[in-house]
This record gives sequence, C-alpha cells and structure tokens, in this order.
Amino acid sequence: MRKRSRGLSFVTGAYVVWSLVPVLIAVLFSFNDGKSRTVWQGFSLRWWTGDRQQSLLHDPTLRTALVNSLVLALGSILITVPVGALLAVGLERWRTRAAATVNWVNSLPLVTPEIVMGAALLITFTNLFTGIPLGRPAQLIGHVTFSLSFVVVTVRARLVSLGPSYEEAARDLGATRAQAIRLVLLPLLTPAIVASCVIVFASSIDDFVISSFLSAGASSETVPVKIYSAVRSSSSPALNALATVMVLLSFMALALTVVVLSRWQHRHGGSGGFRQAVADVTQMDL
Amino acid sequence: MRAHHLNRRRFIQLTGWGLGAAALSPALLSACGGGASESTGGLLIGTPDTPIRLPLNRDPIADGLAPESGTFRVYNYADYVNPDVVEAFESQYGVSLEISTYTTEEEAITKLRSGAIEADLMIGMTDASMALLMAAQLVQPLNRSYLSNFANIISGLQDPYYDLGSQYTVPHVIYADGIGYRTDRDVDTTVFAGREGWSALWDSRYRGRAGILDSYRDSLCMSMFRNGLTDVNTSDRAVVEAAGSDLADLVQAVNPQIDILSYQEIPAGNRDIALCWSGDMLAGQGFLPEGADPSVLGFWYPPETITANDFFCVLTRATKPVLAHCFINFLLDVDNALLNQTYVGYQPALEAVTSDLLIERNGVPESLLSALVTPDRYRSGRRLVNLVPEVDEMWIDVWSEFTAG
Amino acid sequence: MSGQSSPPADRRIFWPGLALPGSLWLAIFFVVPAYTIACVAFGQVDPIFRDAVPVWNPLQWQFSDASEVLGSVVGGPLRSVFLRTSFYVIAAVALSLIIGYPIAYYLARQEGVRRTILLALMVIPFWVSFLMRLLAWVNLLEPEGLASRFLRLFGIDQQWLNGNHLTVILGLVYGYLPFLILPLYASLERLDWRLIEAARDLGASSSQAFRRITLPLSRAGIAAGTVLIALPMFGDYYTNDLLSRSPRTEMIGNQIDFFVNASSQKQKGATLVLVLALFLALVMSWYLIRLARVRREAS
Repeated sequence: MRKRSRGLSFVTGAYVVWSLVPVLIAVLFSFNDGKSRTVWQGFSLRWWTGDRQQSLLHDPTLRTALVNSLVLALGSILITVPVGALLAVGLERWRTRAAATVNWVNSLPLVTPEIVMGAALLITFTNLFTGIPLGRPAQLIGHVTFSLSFVVVTVRARLVSLGPSYEEAARDLGATRAQAIRLVLLPLLTPAIVASCVIVFASSIDDFVISSFLSAGASSETVPVKIYSAVRSSSSPALNALATVMVLLSFMALALTVVVLSRWQHRHGGSGGFRQAVADVTQMDL
Repeated sequence: MRAHHLNRRRFIQLTGWGLGAAALSPALLSACGGGASESTGGLLIGTPDTPIRLPLNRDPIADGLAPESGTFRVYNYADYVNPDVVEAFESQYGVSLEISTYTTEEEAITKLRSGAIEADLMIGMTDASMALLMAAQLVQPLNRSYLSNFANIISGLQDPYYDLGSQYTVPHVIYADGIGYRTDRDVDTTVFAGREGWSALWDSRYRGRAGILDSYRDSLCMSMFRNGLTDVNTSDRAVVEAAGSDLADLVQAVNPQIDILSYQEIPAGNRDIALCWSGDMLAGQGFLPEGADPSVLGFWYPPETITANDFFCVLTRATKPVLAHCFINFLLDVDNALLNQTYVGYQPALEAVTSDLLIERNGVPESLLSALVTPDRYRSGRRLVNLVPEVDEMWIDVWSEFTAG
Repeated sequence: MSGQSSPPADRRIFWPGLALPGSLWLAIFFVVPAYTIACVAFGQVDPIFRDAVPVWNPLQWQFSDASEVLGSVVGGPLRSVFLRTSFYVIAAVALSLIIGYPIAYYLARQEGVRRTILLALMVIPFWVSFLMRLLAWVNLLEPEGLASRFLRLFGIDQQWLNGNHLTVILGLVYGYLPFLILPLYASLERLDWRLIEAARDLGASSSQAFRRITLPLSRAGIAAGTVLIALPMFGDYYTNDLLSRSPRTEMIGNQIDFFVNASSQKQKGATLVLVLALFLALVMSWYLIRLARVRREAS
C-alpha cells in the first residue's frame, strides 16, 4: 500500500513539474537578452521596457492585445453573469416543457467544440447579422454565448442545494416574489455568482478560437490570438513578456476575488472565512 | 472545336469574360439572392499577351486633400515593412500606423470581402489576384497627383499588363521563385547546375529540414517546372493533379514545413533548404543570429521560374485614402525604399535601385547576388495570372487534397 | 403555501420573464447560427468568388455539394483526416486517463493542507492561457530548444515540431489533461473508502479491491471526464497548428479552419462543421445511453 502511494506521489509530482516548468521557463525567457526564445543569452529587461520598438512597453500591438483581452473579459462578465443568473433562477422555478427545451439548448454550448461555434457565428455575422461588425462587438457576443451555460450550471447547482424553503419562508412573511429574490435569494447566491464571474473571466481570457474567428485584424487581436499569429510569423521574447503579464493579471484577479468574497462573507456572518472563499470561487470542495 | 484554334491564353480570357457576363445576368443574380450584388462586374483578366485597361469603378479622390489624422490601417504580410520606415512615416505625418497581416492572397480577399478586415492600404497582392480584387470592388482608382515619385518606378512596370496605366495599383517589389539554402550545411548544390535543380527538394537527406511555400500556385508550379512543364496557368486538371501527387511524394521524402517563413527559419538554422521567394533570402540577413556570417545564406535562381511583382492598392472602404496615397509615395522615394529593403529584403521596383546599388548601399552579400532579379531575369520569368474561377477551384482542390495528407 | 397567495397568471409570467433574456440570447446567437450553418452548407455558391450564398428556405436546399464533401469524408481524401483525428483523440484521451487517473486518485486520498496545495497546483494551468502553455512548448521543442537539447543527451534526436504524431498527441494531452483530472478527482473524492477497507478485510488484494470497487465506482467520473476532453479535442486545430503544421498531422479542425478562414470555400467548411457536429452528437448520445444504463444498473 505504501509502495503504491509512493509511486502515485511520484506521478503526481512529475505531472506538476511537467505542467508548470515549461511555463516558468517561458516566463524566464521574457528576460532573455537575445532575440531568441529558445537560447538563453543573459538577463535583461530589453523585451519588457528596453527595446524602443519591440518591447512590451513600446510595441502598441502587444498593448492593444492586452487591453482587448481585458475589455472582452470584463464585458463578458457584465453581460453573462446577470443574464445567466436570471436564466438559472427562471429555469429552476419555471418548470414547463418550454423551460425544459431552453434547458436542453442551454446545455448544448457545453458540448459544442469551439470551432463549430466559431465557424457558425462567423458565417452568421457575415451573412445574416451584417449589422454587427466583426471585431470587439462580435467577439463579445461570442464570449457571452459560450460562457452563458457555465453561469447557468454554476448558479443552478447552488439553487438546487439551497432548495425552495428560504424563498417560501420569505413569501410567507409577506415578501413579494421580487423581494424574496432580491432580499433572500440573491445574498444566498452570492458565492455562486462570484464563482460565475471568475469562470467567465477565466474562459474569456483563455479563449482563442472564438476571438480569432470573429476578429477584425490587428485592432481586435486578443492575447491568445496575438500569441498564435506571432508564433507563426516572427516573434521575440516580448511575446513571452506579454503572456507573463496576462498570467500575473489573472492570478491577481483571482486573489482579489477571494479576498473580497471572504471579507463579504465575514461581514454577512458567513462561517468559512478565507478557505471557504477559495472553495466557493474555485467551485471545489477543499 | 473552334476553341482548339484559339490561343490558350485568349481562351482563358474569353472564358473569364463569359463568366463575368453570366454573373451579371439577372437570372443568376436572383438565384443567388440579393447578397450577390457585390460579386458583379465579372473577371477582367489581363495577361502579358493580352494586357487590359480596367474600367474605372468610381472617381479617384480629389486633388489637393490634406492627409487625414489618427490611426492609419495597413493590410500586409508579416515582416513586410521596416519598423523604422513605419516610425519615420508616423512622425512625418503625425499618425499611428496599424498593421493587420495575412498569409495568402485568397485569405486576404476572403477577409476583405466578408468585412473581417477593414483597412486603408493593402500591400503585397499580385496580378494573380487582380481580377478578383476588381470583381469584388475592393480597390479604388488612384489619384496620381499624390504620387509625385511615381516616375521612380521601373519603366517596364509603369504600365503593367494587368492594370494598364496603373490606375489601381502601384508596383512595390519584384522577386522570383527559387530555392533558398544554407551554404554551411549538407546541401547538395551540384543539382543546381541544370534544370534538374528543381528536384533538389525531393532529396530525403533534407528530411525534417526543408520547407515549401504555403501558396498553392507557387508550390504546385515547382513540381511542374521539375517535370519540364512551363504553363504555370494551366487549366489541365491532369497536369495539376500530377503536380499535386509529386508534392505528396515530396512530403513522403522530406516532410517539409508548409509556410512562408523561410526568411526566418533558414537564418535561424531550423531549415536547410526551401522553396521560397528571392526576397526571402535577402531578408534572411536580418534574421540571422547576432554576429553570424551572412554567407551561410544561399539562393538558387532557376533558369525557368516565376517572376512577379507585388503592388500597393488603396481599398474601396478606406477611411484614410489620402494617407494611403502618401504612404505609397513615401515608399516610392528611393531612400525610403532602400531603408525598407534592409528589413524586408525584397527588391523595390524602382529604376534607381539596381543590383549594384543594393550591393553597395545595402550590403547584399556576395553569396546572395544570385537572389537579385535583374531586368533580364525579370522579363524572362513566367507570370502567374488570375485564373478563371473553375480553374482556380481545381487548383485549390488539388492543393487542399494535398494538405489533407 | 406561497404559491396560492399569488394568482397563477403572475406565476406564469414571472419565472419565464426572468428566463427571457437568456433564452432569447441562446435563440439568437446559438440556435440561429446553427441554422445558418445548414443554410450555407445546403445553399448556393457564388460563381466567381466560390463564396457561400446561404439559402434560407429549407425547401430550396440542394444537397449535391454537401454529399460530395460527405463522399470525400467516407471514401475520399478527407477520410484519412477523419481517421487521423479520431486516432489522435483516442490516443490522447487514453494517455490522459493513464496519467490523470493515478493523480486524481492520489489527490482524493490526501487530506488537509497537503490536499489544498496539490489542488491549487492542479488549478494553476486553468489560469495560464492554453496558448501560453503551447508557446512554452514550442520554445522548448525547437531544434535548439531546451527540451530538444536535453533529449539529445539521451540520444533521442527528433524533429519535434515537424509533422510528428507524438508531439501532437502529447500536445493534446498537455492542453486538456487539467480538465480531466478535476472531474475524476471529484468522483473519487466522493467515494466511500470504507468499502475498500471492507473488501481488504474480507481478503481482497489491493489490486482486486481497485478493480472490483474503486474503478467501477469511479466509472461515471471517467466517462464525464472523457467526454469533457474528447469533444473539444475533436475540434482542436491550434495545438496542431503551433506544434506541427504539416499535412502528415492534419486534423479535421485544420480543414475547417482552412475552408472557413483561409480559403473562400465557406460552403465546404460549413458542411464539415455539420459533419463534425453530427459525429459528435452520435458520440454524445452513445455516452448518454450508456450513462443511463449504468445508473439503472446501480439503482
């Protein structure tokens, strides 16, 4: 038994090394003094700030990509989370055949490969919804469409575990339906809503296929699209610097969310504190 | 049976006209739904034997307009303009320049037509796509009054067969298809002595270290040249299919990369030999590791090959057409063109920019003299002209079957 | 009862009202595009640009172009692409299970801070963009890259980034494994370990206990994880594009990308999208039927 466990811990350790070390090396190479992303030529900040044309600080296309990624991610959260949460509550309580149909359609994006959705949206935007230009508007719609289902699933899971009793109690005490939702259900759903924000953010900044299919050239390249096009043509360690910033930003966003949520739960008499907040945000039972 | 007596090029052109007329016909228009109105206009294909003066699809911009301000958008190949030139233009006109890139001409036309790309100026298209650019009404006529440097262009290209009078296009660079290689690696240069030179890439010693162009016509034509065929615009399916299966043999033998990146992969040492454009090897100098000897780059200029010129054109939907004209004129200036050449490698299509000047001022190394396209070489090359749709589709079918493995 | 205190009409409007914006969104941006794909695949082609001209009325659809593509998938040049794609996906999923299952098992048996730390390490890849992780490997696998040079020390000299099947399969595993480990972990974590103790007490060897109890009880997790990673793998093209870019490793996603983005033949692209979607729908229904059967057997 112990022997096997040692084998397992080795496999796990090896996996962690395999999954993370290449990324760390890529980060390291953003500080390479040479133009190569493969051969180390000494430490420098050339690709971060030094190079007058190609560094992260001076190359406008890299900054554009960063801004585009963040704007899309925040925009997706602003649209997807409210719409998705309402849809989740509506579907959970509105139990008719129509609701079952919507529910079924809602599960389809979860199992649709991105290239299928990307191609379908591109063809639709260029043939049918020609009023919606490719670029940021189309990309935003694409991101909302593929992340909507995540929000619905996350919020509904919480609704199911809560059951209808809190709302019923509120209604018995004289609250209207809207009041019951606003005053009772919404606070109870907060962890799921925060988790939804995190999921939408993560999937939006990670997305390549939809952003790429629906982009309109240099002005609407996101970080993954920029990485893709640059790897395929010329590229310098500034690309690694860009990717590094993106990773740092996502981790900062994650940390901030955890801190804010644990504060909020503390203030609202929640029990779990920091650990519970992490568990809520990552949707995992720690 | 009459068609047999027609010269093939003439035949192709006639078919093009016929199709154009068909596209214009109301019956077809209604069958295609309202959306097809964009594709009217037909295909007007000029060839070296039958030059063409394109009809004006609108008036050029007025004379004497002030250049616009703000962001100026260029649609171009990657690494196809010197960042120093961009910077100089930006500071001279107080604008910022934004470049979107494409990989193939088909991709560029598709994206422009669907609106996936909006830009003011387009760089890098060739006569192989001229008729499509016209039919899709993607380009607008130029106003020569903004192009004071136009006279600098090679005299033979001031009135090109694909656009007599240069009404829509301005030649940019000239180049030829050939084979780029490393002189410091195990490359058998003896085959380059004769026409069999085109067979060089089929040698399995280059396995994993070779490349061909991600450009269906250039790569398929390499197979044809290898077999002594020179009709680079053929409509004969059997010929194109044979070329495709030869390319499949090439994949079996050397497993080449298919891209347009030899200008950096060969200097970087990732590739020993590749089908590429002459300008790629000239550009390669700038992509060598720091301190490396430029004589490691070599280029075989085939006796029978394709020559071409890229051109500039201003897009119909340009919001900054005056700036687009200014940028063209900027690059028609000899000094700016030379500065641009040091980065992009490709030879500017300017009379004053001779091979001697490039060697002298821009330091083209001895080993790459063979990559320079002299006026004689340029004239003797085969030209890729715009194919009629169904012939083009046949070529693309063969190519996509090839890429499917 | 609260339901009685409000009139039914209110109830009939209120909940659908909440669901309305989301339902409309799905209808306009998911259902309509799905229909558009069909209108393009079965529509007309512009005679000059070969561009798709959608036909919106299903009665006017024509299927000759689509059946040509289908013929190519069944017995033509695209057949090898489909077979290759399936082979890559099956190999990558199998490898992912072989690597991922022990890790999930190990995680589920850990407790306290150790488990939290390990889980955090497993989650990190979710926060590093897929393309960044691919970029990292492209850098390492170039002929002069660190990994290539390291492997050469052991006499393994390969062209990793040039039509290498192994690179593409490992790239898929690398990209999608994190998405498998977490659902596997979730199913193993819920497992009642006392059952295994009981089996051991009754004389079963540890491997017997694993085969008879752990594996069957985690079957749902395995199936869910498999579907979760296999579906996107079928549509993947960028892993292949960045790590290989060769006809030898062409996947179905690359062909779709080529037809839809790089060439003007959107109609062929749309048909391939339909073929892929139908194929995956078949795989999904097979999975759902199996799942239902497993559930029925369990109860």
